[in-house]
Amino acid sequence: MIDVNNLSKRYGRHTAVSDISFKVGKGKIIGFLGPNGAGKTTTMRAISGTIPRSGSVMYDGHDIVSQSAESIVRSGIAHVPQGRGTFSELTVEENLRIGAYVRKDSIESDIERWYKTFPRLEERKNQRAGSLSGGEQQMLAIARALMSRPRLLLCDEPSLGLAPLITQELFAVLKSLNQQDGLSVLLVEQNANLALKVASKVYLLETGQVVASGTAEAIAGDERIRKAYLGG
Amino acid sequence: MERLLQYVFDGLSFGAIYALLALGLVVVFRGTGHLNFAQGEMAMFCTFIIWQINEWGVPLVFAVLIGMLFGFLLGAGTEATVIRSVAKKSPGGVFVVSIALFLGLNSLASMIWDRSEGYTMKSLFPNKPEDFVRILGAEWRYKYIGVLIVALILMGLLFLLFSKTKFGLAMRSVASNPESARLVGVPSGLVLAASWGIAASMGALSGALVGGINGQITPSLMFSVFIYASAAATLGGLDSPGGAVIAGLLIGVGEQLAAGFAPGWIGQDLKLSVALISIFVVLLVKPSGLFGSLKVERV
Amino acid sequence: MLNIKEGSVTHWAIRVVGALLLVAFIVYIPTQSETARIGQFASGFTLIIAAMSLNLVLGYTGQISIGHSAFFGIGGYTAAILIRDHGWSPGYTFYAAAVIAFVVGCLIALPVLRIRGAYLALVTLAVAVLFPTLLRWRKLDWLTSGAQGIDSVKYDELPVWPILGELKGRDGRAVFAYWLGLLVLVVTFVICRGLVKSRVGRSLVAIRDNETAAAVMGVNITRTKVVIFGISASLCALAGVLSTLSSGVVTPDGQYVTLLGSIIFLLIMVVGGAGTLSGPIVGGLVYVWLDNTTRGIGTDSKGIVGYIFGWTNQSPATLILGLALIVIMLFAPTGLVGLIRTY
Repeated sequence: MIDVNNLSKRYGRHTAVSDISFKVGKGKIIGFLGPNGAGKTTTMRAISGTIPRSGSVMYDGHDIVSQSAESIVRSGIAHVPQGRGTFSELTVEENLRIGAYVRKDSIESDIERWYKTFPRLEERKNQRAGSLSGGEQQMLAIARALMSRPRLLLCDEPSLGLAPLITQELFAVLKSLNQQDGLSVLLVEQNANLALKVASKVYLLETGQVVASGTAEAIAGDERIRKAYLGG
Repeated sequence: MERLLQYVFDGLSFGAIYALLALGLVVVFRGTGHLNFAQGEMAMFCTFIIWQINEWGVPLVFAVLIGMLFGFLLGAGTEATVIRSVAKKSPGGVFVVSIALFLGLNSLASMIWDRSEGYTMKSLFPNKPEDFVRILGAEWRYKYIGVLIVALILMGLLFLLFSKTKFGLAMRSVASNPESARLVGVPSGLVLAASWGIAASMGALSGALVGGINGQITPSLMFSVFIYASAAATLGGLDSPGGAVIAGLLIGVGEQLAAGFAPGWIGQDLKLSVALISIFVVLLVKPSGLFGSLKVERV
Repeated sequence: MLNIKEGSVTHWAIRVVGALLLVAFIVYIPTQSETARIGQFASGFTLIIAAMSLNLVLGYTGQISIGHSAFFGIGGYTAAILIRDHGWSPGYTFYAAAVIAFVVGCLIALPVLRIRGAYLALVTLAVAVLFPTLLRWRKLDWLTSGAQGIDSVKYDELPVWPILGELKGRDGRAVFAYWLGLLVLVVTFVICRGLVKSRVGRSLVAIRDNETAAAVMGVNITRTKVVIFGISASLCALAGVLSTLSSGVVTPDGQYVTLLGSIIFLLIMVVGGAGTLSGPIVGGLVYVWLDNTTRGIGTDSKGIVGYIFGWTNQSPATLILGLALIVIMLFAPTGLVGLIRTY
């Protein structure tokens, strides 16, 4: 589905991402693990087009590395940013509607679907989004991204700051979307265990480079890697 | 009693004009985080264009509409070219550029239309001495009523744009969180340009109304209106459109009352000072104004 | 555009040649040019001083101010009132103006401290527009002489300076204004340089770039901002005094007493190069040169050029500077001085 090669991004003299390559297969959930500053968020931004980058990002046979963020959204990639990026002043429902900005067809059925999936959002649909709890905002952020009917979802640290119960709910939703709709997901997580449970393949990043990769079982089972990168 | 009413009536009309221009300031500030120092001069320039088109034979109503369209293009064009490039390099520079525009537009207008006594501008509304309505003893001139109605209609249209249309939602989303707006595919560039365009357009109408009331236009037409509008935007809250309207009307009425009831102290000389001092007081006491949010300001 | 290695021979050569040229130029003007030209330079110095004062606040500390015309006016009016109504001799008015402006500047800066960005711009806008309005207020007529301003600020005894000998009449006054202006300019430059190169100067830049970080590093933000604003105000007032002394008149519509003055100071500073010591100087000289050149064009030329420049109200220099500003902000935000970079 998406094939990244030699992706690089420098901020002045600091190299955030150095020449990395990876693939996200169609209908798969891929995990991106690693400590802070490893370049995970930068990589996501590079794919969604929100920062200038160099290298090649092949999506559906085209190289989207120089495309604008708007057109990338139109081609079916949605990015749920770290920290959720809620439109605090807009209502919950408005957040959903703006998520579907690039679509020209009727979105009412999608809104209904996400209200069914996340009933708490429906309860608060006319509330100011900024007044929602962290967990609710995260659900809103994911629903908002899904409103554009993406084929690839980029999820940046969805569990950050969330209670375990909510996190489980969220990941269950992601997993079911992946199984039922064939949604491909690129998941960035600091919480390695969570990621290893849902992903089929995992890449490990450290200081801007891929230091290891493999199936979730392999990585999870590898003592050495666990100790070195995943805190045992 | 009639005097009080008179001041209120007149004040509402002037206030509506201030509110129009203030709305322009707020739309730009909310959408882009910048203060358009040239808002008044853009309005003045468009007013001259309206006058010129009218001189060439186009009926005033159409001239005003064309002028508003010109304003939209002027504002959007300025943003898309100069402002955007400078904003990327230095956010503080945008203010400096808007000052340069302030000067440039004023100078340009002075060059093109250089009669020192100014030019006669017709009013959109019936303007003969007998054109007024008597309410409880006070005279409410047609042209003032007309100004108030037109301004309110336009503000209503703007409100509808923001709350009921997809593009309006897009504009509000950029104002709320520009990063996320890009992530959902909102064309930020278009939105920014549209913000400036709408603001300039409202300014053009504002200028035409002022010209109609004064009867006379010169390049210094909109400067004091700009000050009043800045006071209104500040008082209402730089990011609150509703606040700008309410504050504009308040300032309009307040100014008439102050000048009318205390001519010895305030009178014509210091009318403007009331607005200026209120800017001071608001910014020192509550910078976010009456209805604004406490968001951190960008330069 | 030009990259010169600091400390290299080229760098030294440029500085030495530059200094020599500067000195030659400075001495040439008053001795060889006509009175009008000398007068222009004298007012140019005034502008440069004002731009330098604004630079302290805007270029180095990063606080927007379009209210400096008020301080210019405070200086100008202080000098006029003291000389005409109280018989002071011109020299001491500098000190009085500086002190008054410092106090007013600090008083204004204190409450305005936490305001930033667009809000600060609005406050200083209010100051700039309020000041001339206050000057015209009938209730203050006894002090300011209202809308007509104060004229006939005369001082008959021009001091006898060693090298220049006795200066008499209009020509003498022009030369006197020139050298006095130059003197105040040098003093201002030295003060600014001293401030900027010292620890204070570095804390200014720290405040400009990241106030929170600066506070954490131990910079007393409040005190620094207020004092710098006060100093900036007094320097600007000095320029105002100069202006009154050389023209003998000060009015509420005076070119630099109104908002337009603040804008011109800002333009000069940015075009020359904000946040640099020589920026305002370059900017001021460019403005004077532009003013010179374009003023002539208006009355003589025919055709398009005459149409473009033949107008009465403002100097075309202002328009051109405004356009130049846009160009500079687009392509060289560090100003003209920034085009020659030393590394």
